[in-house]
Amino acid sequence: MSAVAIQVVDLARELKDRFPGTSFLSQKTADDIPTFWISRVVLLKVLAFLKPRYEMLFDLCGVDERMRDNRQGMPDADYTVVYHLISFRNNLDIRLKVGLDEADLNVPTAIPVYPNANWYEREVWDMFGITFTGHPNLFRILMPPTWEGHPLRKDHPARATEMPPFEMTEERQDKEQEALRFKPEDWGIKRKNDNTEFMFLNLGPNHPSVHGVFRIILQLDGEIVVDAVPEIGYHHRGAEKMAERQTWHSYIPYTDRIDYLGGVMNNLPYVMAVEKLAGIDVPERAKFIRIMLAEFFRISSHLVFYGTFAQDVGQMSPVFYMFSDREKLFRIIEAITGGRMHPAWFRIGGVAQDLPNGWHNMVKEFVDYMPARLDHYEKMSMQNSILKQRTKHIGVYTKAEAMDWGVTGPGMRATGIDFDMRRDRPYGGYDQLDFEVPVYHNGDCYDRAMVRVDEMRQSLRIIEQCMNNMPTGPYKADHRLTTPPPKERTMYDIETLIQHFVNVSWGPVIPAGECSMTIEATKGNNMYYLTSDGGTSSYRTRIRTPSFPHLQQIPLISSGLMIADLIAIIASIDFVMADVDR
Amino acid sequence: MEWSLSKADENIPVTDVDSALDEHLKRNLVVTNLEDMLAWGRKHSVWPFNFGLSCCYVEMATSLTSRFDVSRFGSEVIRGTPRQADMIVISGTCFLKMAPIIQRLYEQLLEPKWVISMGSCANSGGMYDIYSVVQGVDKFLPVDVYVPGCPPRPDAFMQGLMMLQDQIGKERRPLSWVVGEQGVIKPEKTSQRDLRNDERMKTTNLREPDSV
Repeated sequence: MSAVAIQVVDLARELKDRFPGTSFLSQKTADDIPTFWISRVVLLKVLAFLKPRYEMLFDLCGVDERMRDNRQGMPDADYTVVYHLISFRNNLDIRLKVGLDEADLNVPTAIPVYPNANWYEREVWDMFGITFTGHPNLFRILMPPTWEGHPLRKDHPARATEMPPFEMTEERQDKEQEALRFKPEDWGIKRKNDNTEFMFLNLGPNHPSVHGVFRIILQLDGEIVVDAVPEIGYHHRGAEKMAERQTWHSYIPYTDRIDYLGGVMNNLPYVMAVEKLAGIDVPERAKFIRIMLAEFFRISSHLVFYGTFAQDVGQMSPVFYMFSDREKLFRIIEAITGGRMHPAWFRIGGVAQDLPNGWHNMVKEFVDYMPARLDHYEKMSMQNSILKQRTKHIGVYTKAEAMDWGVTGPGMRATGIDFDMRRDRPYGGYDQLDFEVPVYHNGDCYDRAMVRVDEMRQSLRIIEQCMNNMPTGPYKADHRLTTPPPKERTMYDIETLIQHFVNVSWGPVIPAGECSMTIEATKGNNMYYLTSDGGTSSYRTRIRTPSFPHLQQIPLISSGLMIADLIAIIASIDFVMADVDR
Repeated sequence: MEWSLSKADENIPVTDVDSALDEHLKRNLVVTNLEDMLAWGRKHSVWPFNFGLSCCYVEMATSLTSRFDVSRFGSEVIRGTPRQADMIVISGTCFLKMAPIIQRLYEQLLEPKWVISMGSCANSGGMYDIYSVVQGVDKFLPVDVYVPGCPPRPDAFMQGLMMLQDQIGKERRPLSWVVGEQGVIKPEKTSQRDLRNDERMKTTNLREPDSV
């Protein structure tokens, strides 16, 4: 038996010993993550048992199983709630599934065990209509409060053109604005205490400092933030529902726009998950082209972070320098892929085209030019005494808090947790590259920025290695499910021609199964959990984005600080609203 | 007003000139009507509102930075409050939850005000034909210029801005509430595709993507 299979058997045995009489039905998934179906009656006990071993609730999502055909070996369920737990200490994952009947869509809340379940459960309520008993504020999170229906259910219309046309009447505007009015009582917030009456200030959704359409309602005592209620959903584009309507191949441009600064980095987990499901092995050259471009976009995203972070703290000039560097970077990306921000260039089985002749010189020019600029920026921004005063010891959270609240990526490494998916769970070729993972220990705004600054240098190292050692060979796998499939033999035999035609027009039929793929994306850990029902489109695409849990944490780390500190904190979290709301 | 620049050491050939007085007047006097002058002033100082929804906002912000520098065209001052801005660029997808807020912001902009719809999502919903996206911001806002792209390059945005400037130059606005016809008379929107199609069809040299 393989090591993974042994681990599953051990875990199943341990769970059965610990909870005698309860069933733990194991399900095999294409990503080899131990998956167990449990009943909601034991859910909290099992979570509490697993918490010491699996520190973080990585993802909580729902699935509407009513139209799924290929469910062999799974218990009957109309809806499923999936809990994905992760351990960074032991580098392990586990998935728990709770099956529910349509007439009784109710699960106990996981908040007592994993505090970051709060927003995830609100999202499952919003999208599926599954209630969570014990949840303090089970309101809609992504849809407007006046919305009726639960979008990710299979009977909810997907397209705007399937619904009545939109009209903005004054009545509607007033109704929507009134529904968005903040009522402190709903959140358990008091309007006043013995000494003072609090002011409730609305920051956003249109505000230059909130980095996108994000709303925070602040409870203020003068200038000091007593509590904050972040509100999201203003950027909800229904990416998960869209996946059920698009073919596996034509969904790739939608993934680009999830983290709109990440470009091609977003294609990577999606495409890799599909390849795992289909059993495609990507050739070496394609792997390193992907890594090189992904690291370019990491630098691009971190440059935007750097410039806007400095700008939010008060330095007006650095953002212009950073954007100029981004232009040089985009010149390379545009030469290779044809697009600037949203290339959508990765394909199932490889990349869209081979690298153009002359790419080497362009990349070399950039790699030689950038380190000096980064040194210059460090002197200009990170060593500036005002920036230091405004960001050191501001927005501090500990390692335990990071795990409790689902913080991944640079925010996690700034607290001292030394884990990076690229090094500790290498994917797509990273195991052949030599790079360091910057870790800092204070967990404040300054350290989060420093982690990203150092990550940029490491990305340059990775790009240099890719440039110097780029393997030769095909840029796409020679597999029948590669999309679009290799064309060479289509003119010679009819089978290849038919396959090519069907794959390009109808789309590849990916075998039934479930697969998730997590990568170290620019903002944190990004996971695509795909469920295929053996069709040309995905049955369920779950996108676990890093920025979603990061925003949940804002009230905790900014309480007791002033508004100006809150702005520095928001800038240091480095989120993108499309990443939060999808 | 006619004027020309020349180098100091050049020998400028003397052309047929009118009397010295006429020449002097030509170089120093502008004769126009008040409405045209005001339109000229308005079009070269369109202050954008610091508003962005989505990915297109990043490209709009890029057009404000050094390489593209939209402040060369007068949009130097980007204002945080709608009360002080002239133009709102709907850069990004118009979400259902955000629509009443955009409407509110548009109402808060003071006349004269213009709307540029930037990007496919703002133009028509783009590739997001989905339950939570309004299929085009023109469903509830009057749009002056549509800039296509996903996202449009900063250069494309600047072209849209310049088209808006042309349009503003041709607008007829009342000089005061007591003088002239009230109400704004805007020129007809032209389709750039129709205007430029012939020229574009003549392109025969397309760069190969195989080498840079």
